[in-house]
Amino acid sequence: MRILIVEDDTVAADYVRKGLMEAGHVVDLAADGDLGLEMARAADYDALVLDRMLPKRDGLDLLKVLRDDGDKTPVLILSALGEVDHKVEGLRAGGDDYLAKPYSFTELLARVEAIGRRSDPNAAVTKLTVGELEMDLLARTVRREGQNILLQPREFRLLECLMRNAGRVVTRTMLLEKVWDYHFDPQTNVIDVHISRLRGKIDKEFETPLLHTVRGAGYRLQV
Amino acid sequence: MGSSLVLFGFFYFGTVKSELNRVDQNITAELKELESLYAEEGPIAVEREVFLRSASGEGLYYFQHLNKFTGNLAQLPISEDSMQVRFGFLRGNERDLYRRVEAIYSIADEEDSGLRDRRMRGILGPLRIGDNTEISGQLLVGRDVEVAMRNAVRVKNTILISAAISLALGLLSGFLVSRRFSSRVEEFNRLATDIRKGHLDRRASRNHSGDELDLLAEHLNDMLDHIDRLMKAMRYAGDSIAHDLRSPLTRLRTRLESAAVDMKDDDPSANVLFAAADDAGELLKTFDSVLRIARLEAGERRELLKELDPKPILDDIAELYEPACEDAGLSFSAHIEKDHVLAADRGLLSQAVSNLVENAIKYTPHGGEVQLSLEHDKMGRSQIIILDNGPGIPATERQRVKERFVRLDESRTKKGSGLGLALVDAIADLHRAEFILGDGISNAQSKNGLSASIIFPRVRKRRQKEDAQGDDVIQPSAALLD
Repeated sequence: MRILIVEDDTVAADYVRKGLMEAGHVVDLAADGDLGLEMARAADYDALVLDRMLPKRDGLDLLKVLRDDGDKTPVLILSALGEVDHKVEGLRAGGDDYLAKPYSFTELLARVEAIGRRSDPNAAVTKLTVGELEMDLLARTVRREGQNILLQPREFRLLECLMRNAGRVVTRTMLLEKVWDYHFDPQTNVIDVHISRLRGKIDKEFETPLLHTVRGAGYRLQV
Repeated sequence: MGSSLVLFGFFYFGTVKSELNRVDQNITAELKELESLYAEEGPIAVEREVFLRSASGEGLYYFQHLNKFTGNLAQLPISEDSMQVRFGFLRGNERDLYRRVEAIYSIADEEDSGLRDRRMRGILGPLRIGDNTEISGQLLVGRDVEVAMRNAVRVKNTILISAAISLALGLLSGFLVSRRFSSRVEEFNRLATDIRKGHLDRRASRNHSGDELDLLAEHLNDMLDHIDRLMKAMRYAGDSIAHDLRSPLTRLRTRLESAAVDMKDDDPSANVLFAAADDAGELLKTFDSVLRIARLEAGERRELLKELDPKPILDDIAELYEPACEDAGLSFSAHIEKDHVLAADRGLLSQAVSNLVENAIKYTPHGGEVQLSLEHDKMGRSQIIILDNGPGIPATERQRVKERFVRLDESRTKKGSGLGLALVDAIADLHRAEFILGDGISNAQSKNGLSASIIFPRVRKRRQKEDAQGDDVIQPSAALLD
């Protein structure tokens, strides 16, 4: 993906750029809001990483101008203001996801890749497939190698989130946000417990495991 | 009140008593004059004098010598219990011979020829001729004091009425002043309560009269302004520190993470790096919690509270933690009633309950029990209770553990920052709810256990229906799942 990072903290931006490039993305940097807007208009990016507080032009303002122009590039908003109301404000302004500082790089990577994928034209599918695993979003059924798998509603959503991001890392925080709509980090391994239950249903009786744990980051569903 | 009585008393003595004293002095002087006339010139001279003076009308006289009576009083209006008069110059039983006379005499009315009773006052004394010790007569000299006595009554009535009026006025004004005073003090109390609840923008209203309460209000407001400034400065400093410290910490974690990711999976030092990254993450979380509590305590998010049905929220929590309990070898049960309405923020409520459930899971030993319930308390308020049969918290420590960084586990063997209960307390406070720690489930195997309840204030019923509808709109995902 081609990604633009608009961030005035150049040290942080450099690390993010380095990490994203190592993950195989093309990354441009802009250090203030005006430059960011100019660059976002000039080139067609797959995703924007936007700091909220920027010199010259505020992040939310930049986003608003872009959206008013009809630009639908997915945007991940970064901010030191971690409270939920700020998040709501950011999403309302047209952001696709919101990440509060301090964030870990793996979290950022997972989210950028998730929003980048969302712009895929096949995002509105009714069927998800990963290898032999199939999910019918309308009938709300899951099959693997032709075998029906019965899932609880929450397990279904958990698997859906993982399948939509198949091949990408999904962090525990992302799962909490997207499956449970919680915006705080529990102190315990509560997500791991749910994953292990899901694993018991989709992987246990089959030869190749699909649901992998990525150390220090989260989970990945992959053939 | 007292001062006005003293004033009236002084007025009474100044007028009535001095008038009577003057009368007494006149009487005494005249009595002495006539006594010496009797002693020197004999009864005839006195008789003539008394006759003349009786006719002139000012005084009242009764003169008796042997069996002869003169004067304008027909008889001695004297009784046995009448007072003795003490003259300074007399000695021994001489004193007993003088008597004060306060009596009523009758006088012919000039207009209707009837009789009028009038009050008189006089002194009766013995008479002697020359240096004789034998008493040969007696003389009463008196004055009509009807007018003075009437004045006295009038003055007395005036005083009593004035006293009654001033007492009534005093009570009334006292009542009004104290009511005004207490209503203003009440306002201060309300202000203090509001401030304590985080409404730092409230100020005492002033009437600019410059009285003590107005000055107090001024000083309170100055003080609050000052506190507000300090709080803002502190919050600003806190935010700056958050911003400044979080960035390097985040970079630290990112460096550790990327270094670990770069290593081969079987390299043992990767584990060390991941552990170090986790520690950095832990630091960041603690920092985050501190800031969160500070923001909650400042009451910043109170306006976000909405009336909602807590059942779906608690069902979600139960669903989230039930497997975790099972994994920890605990039996988990939820008793969540329907039809409750709270003014709450979903995210904060979830976080508070989740913290308490996690605590219960963390401290309850294998084989224990954790319960989550929503019910009405005795006063009909909604309360969320998390019960366990773990070690519990001693009653003396229950208040202290709600403070930041306080942990009972002094050896700190369990992971944790000591901020969990402080965060719950701050969230409860923001919801104007009570956060109470008590005894949990007790049975033969365990000690008391712990109960943690959050008791919410009642929401007016009127809006229940609207909100139940609103809630369906907020949570469409719940419908999708069923």
